[in-house]
Amino acid sequence: MGPVTTAMPSRSVLLTRAGDQDDEQFLVDVLEESPLHRVRADGQVFEIASDGHGSLRVTGERSTTAWAVAADDVKWVFVDGRVFELVEVRPGDRARTTGHGHHGSLTAPMPATVRRVAVKVGDTVKRGDTLVILEAMKMELPVRASAAGTIRAVHCHEGDLVQPGLVLIEIVEA
Amino acid sequence: MAIRRVLIANRGEIAVRIARACREASIESVAVYSDADKDALHVRVADRAVRIGPAAPAESYLSVPALIAAAAASEADAIHPGYGFLSERAALPLACDEAGLIFIGPPARVMERMGSKIGARALMQGAGVPIVPGDTPRDQSDDGVLAAARGLDYPVLVKASAGGGGKGMRIVRRDNDAVESIAAARREASSAFGDGTLYVERLIERPRHVEIQIFADMHGNVVHLFERECSVQRRHQKIVEESPSPAVTATVRQRMGQAAVAAARAAGYRNAGTIEFLVEGEGDSARFYFLEMNTRLQVEHAVTEAVVGVDLVRAQFVVADGGRLPWTQEALSQRGHALECRIYAEDPAREFLPQAGPLRLYREPVGPGIRIDSGVTEGDRVGVDYDPLLAKLVVHAETREAARTRAVHALKRYPILGTRTNIPFLIRLLELPAFRDGSLHTGMIDDHLPELTAPDGVPPEALAAAAVATTAPAQRSGVNGDARVDHDPWSTMLRWGR
Repeated sequence: MGPVTTAMPSRSVLLTRAGDQDDEQFLVDVLEESPLHRVRADGQVFEIASDGHGSLRVTGERSTTAWAVAADDVKWVFVDGRVFELVEVRPGDRARTTGHGHHGSLTAPMPATVRRVAVKVGDTVKRGDTLVILEAMKMELPVRASAAGTIRAVHCHEGDLVQPGLVLIEIVEA
Repeated sequence: MAIRRVLIANRGEIAVRIARACREASIESVAVYSDADKDALHVRVADRAVRIGPAAPAESYLSVPALIAAAAASEADAIHPGYGFLSERAALPLACDEAGLIFIGPPARVMERMGSKIGARALMQGAGVPIVPGDTPRDQSDDGVLAAARGLDYPVLVKASAGGGGKGMRIVRRDNDAVESIAAARREASSAFGDGTLYVERLIERPRHVEIQIFADMHGNVVHLFERECSVQRRHQKIVEESPSPAVTATVRQRMGQAAVAAARAAGYRNAGTIEFLVEGEGDSARFYFLEMNTRLQVEHAVTEAVVGVDLVRAQFVVADGGRLPWTQEALSQRGHALECRIYAEDPAREFLPQAGPLRLYREPVGPGIRIDSGVTEGDRVGVDYDPLLAKLVVHAETREAARTRAVHALKRYPILGTRTNIPFLIRLLELPAFRDGSLHTGMIDDHLPELTAPDGVPPEALAAAAVATTAPAQRSGVNGDARVDHDPWSTMLRWGR
């Protein structure tokens, strides 16, 4: 991933996948911002022409069309039928955790209604056991234990409307 | 035509599609909307729009009184139910009859009979159409349903007697998981259809799911419009459909078509309908079993429209109005190959979990042989209240391979950003050797799930694009603001100018 050209970047961006587990980071150097963007990524330099509406012509060895928007903290990119959600890692941000929340807790993946709570505090569960059944869009969505352990806390009741990220169940891992 | 103004009792892409057919037939369209949909595309494309209630389907799109009142208020003379919601509830055509409205679909008594799995099976048996062994247990307790399941030999399928679309459906392979599955199926059935009655049938493993489109008028004419292959499913819901089926031979096609026409005649059917079959085995000796009849337009009707060269919704207006079928059986044929991909807001890597959120960027591909039926535009928000189907991509080409390739390339030019969709998944699915070969069966996605959902490596082009990404260009302003940017590809090209 060493630099190939010697141009000095006008700015550098450190990216990682949103909610990533493997924590792989990618350094991108923006060499020029206008009239065209010149960007160095993974040792290759690309010229990027933007239509101002999210459509980008990305030219390296060959040209390809990409679409990109930044929304909240996430940079969404569509290239060749693949979608990437990337976030910028800021200095001193090395240990940031994203995605599944703190260890041992299970969160609601989306706005949903709690249909059934299958466990109570003190229960021991195996990995894969159904702990809570949520319902959204007429479908039942089981929330399963990510590891074996003991239920430490239950934060939801049948009939609750829950929002994404809300902790439903806490487990002490065995 | 006596029909002058049609109330469309639906939402999303199908309501938009019906409104288009209305426009082309010089019929006025009336959209209905819940509070969650007041700025939705289907409202924006109709000639008039009437609010029918709050977001909860039971109080809006599933409310017969609200729809009949909306039809009266807008002086509509007919109701088109679309698919889903009330499209297979006899209460709607009955209420239409009482209110003096034309129902664009079959008569209530036919719908009632075909909607009951017992009635439909008896009718099919009588018409000489083969059926899969199964039963609606009289004793609907856990024990009663369990006994019925054991009586058929595992594996069995437990499903909502009232429903369709894979909701309230569970596979049971042994006594151990039976009780939990029965309870889950009953809960889903109650919540989706307001009726927890369960039906149990023998599971035919690795079957293909092939359906025949039929159409009947009031003058005794019944035709079939050939098959749609619908084997590619996830969570028992179709996501890719095509015609012709790569697995149906000319002989089997003819036998299935004749069986479907016989079934429609026996039912006294009228308007558009679909007879679903499970197909087992290969070649001319393949066996087919009646699965169910859908007494409505299907999500995948556009596949037939492309390959047969017809407009099914327009024909629905003609037939509902008392006219004759626009085609004879002899005049109908399949030409080339058509393929549909359903575009869902969902996360295939997380058990196809429905996704809600904003469509910060949404651009549809264009080109020869590409049709998009969409219920959304850029800046819309996908909510949690309804099915997460955003749009359908339907391609048509000379051969199956040409259609498959066309679909792949269209999907690669179909960016949707801000909310996860199944587009990357669909591309991988269409590129699977098993899909390419046409060796489809209903368990195909499960068999290939890891390779279909593994994360992609991030290419340097994507990193470069991310580094210069700017905030979302166009956001709908909330109140009936149609703040769309100009997506004309030529103006875009000019602005790229070097």
